[in-house]
Amino acid sequence: MTGLAVMLQTTQLEKRFGGVRAVAGVDFTLREGELRCLIGPNGAGKSTFFRLLTGQMKPTAGALMICGQDVTRARANEIAALGVGIKNQIPDVMNGLSVSENLWLAASQRFRGAQARRAVEKVAERLFLTGILNRLVGELAHGQRQWVEIAMVIVGEPKIVLLDEPAAGMSDEETARTAELIREINKDTTIIVVEHDMPFIRQIAQTVTVFHQGRILLEGLFDAVVADPTVREVYLGRAGV
Amino acid sequence: MATEFASDAAKQPKLWWWGAVAAAAVILGIVPTMTDISLQLDLSILFVFMLLAMSMGFLWGYAGILSFGQTIFFGLGGYAYTILAMNMGTTGLPFLMAVLLPVVFAAVLGYFMIYGQISDIYLSVITLVVTLIFEKSMRSTSGPEYVIGTVRLNGQNGIPGVPGLVLPWIGDAPLSIAGVFYLSGGLVLCVYVGLRMILTTRFGRVIVGIRENERRMELLGYDARWYKLLAFMLAALIASLSGVLYAIWGNFVAPEMFNLNQAAQVVIWVIVGGRSTLIGPVVGTGVIQYLSNWLGTVGVGQVTVVLGAILMIFVLVFPRGLLPTLGAAIAALWSAKDRKGRGK
Repeated sequence: MTGLAVMLQTTQLEKRFGGVRAVAGVDFTLREGELRCLIGPNGAGKSTFFRLLTGQMKPTAGALMICGQDVTRARANEIAALGVGIKNQIPDVMNGLSVSENLWLAASQRFRGAQARRAVEKVAERLFLTGILNRLVGELAHGQRQWVEIAMVIVGEPKIVLLDEPAAGMSDEETARTAELIREINKDTTIIVVEHDMPFIRQIAQTVTVFHQGRILLEGLFDAVVADPTVREVYLGRAGV
Repeated sequence: MATEFASDAAKQPKLWWWGAVAAAAVILGIVPTMTDISLQLDLSILFVFMLLAMSMGFLWGYAGILSFGQTIFFGLGGYAYTILAMNMGTTGLPFLMAVLLPVVFAAVLGYFMIYGQISDIYLSVITLVVTLIFEKSMRSTSGPEYVIGTVRLNGQNGIPGVPGLVLPWIGDAPLSIAGVFYLSGGLVLCVYVGLRMILTTRFGRVIVGIRENERRMELLGYDARWYKLLAFMLAALIASLSGVLYAIWGNFVAPEMFNLNQAAQVVIWVIVGGRSTLIGPVVGTGVIQYLSNWLGTVGVGQVTVVLGAILMIFVLVFPRGLLPTLGAAIAALWSAKDRKGRGK
């Protein structure tokens, strides 16, 4: 693993809210081709960490490098423009526009003209959205909206994809399809998934980073992490996995 | 709320739309041959106001920016043309400069508001306050020390004798009343078609995306601030065009161009007509201006009160405005007829 290029790296990244250190000096490295799950109990700081990585929040201290560039103070759009696909937990789409317009807007950040149209067709086919391209996104079911958003995230062929709880609110069947999709995207893209749903993580995870009280508690392969007594104590034991 | 706006603005307009535009151009062409001067004057000022309404309607409806102060650029355009034309002794170059100068001001004002990330409601308030500041300042320029070149600003009395536009390819004389009619009517048509075309471009589609969900657009990598600033400047361009035409139409500019009355009227035109289409504000302007003229001629003293009541009715009962409401009613009738037809 160590031979591969570093895609994303944080050095002593910190975020304070008043006296609380939600993210307390995190050193984190993500290499090309990885599919990394960030897990941890509620309040562990993983969502704050996600917001720091995506430029939706500015760190109080530390540094963030993405694709070799220092983006510690960068805005979300600057980070996205580096080739980072971002999806927040709640479906965040243009409800008043059609599926195809949503996908086109996502694609044309990266591509122009016919190339953008082709990218839309390709991603719609890949995610089985071709039949609903002309529907308004606001009229779709929750699960479909999530997939439209995932399609928006990958249509620009990002180098890194950052997903915050992609399976939140989905049925079991939808969750399984989403897991399959994430594994497939991982074939050519580096991915970080923030998640707390253990069965879902089991379906996708290779390497897992466990957050606890704003710090990284442990990093390793899923099975090893699940078996770790400290992890079981702070998190998994209570979750009953 | 999902269906509040037409979701197909990004598509190329259909053939019937181009037909309607061509028909409007033909009608515009023959009206002066069939009407008297007073009607031409009335229609010309209506066109001028329609441009102002379109500037606000586009900005609010498509970019999601509610500016109460499009009169800033309307007034600046009028004053800039007046001062430049009277000083330079020509009108062509002053026309162009006067249309563009307010856009520069819009860039500066817009930069501080949009890059400063103030909330939407503050943007509305600031634009209104800025137009009122301009009105106050222009009112207090009656002293002889307020001179730009050879032109005295004249405070609340305004500046009379604004030179008419001379178009070199037409002749040495300023535009006739019919000429002003053609110019303002033609510009309404051009701006309407131009805005409709812009909505099909990447820029137009991106600003509609930002109206729908600014955060998502940022997360896709678009700098929403830049696109919003461009939209603000484009709307300012249309408003200043309207202001320049106003000065040419009436040969007169005054601080009233900036005042609350004028600013509020723009809001009423757009709300009554509906901001979810480009044509809504145009129709709204026509209806409201016709109504206030008519109320004036039949001797209703309180025109403002009646207009205020109309605004209240629209805000409460038809919040989408005249055109979208009519459109929905026709669509409902049509489908009812359809169902009845199938039932037989």
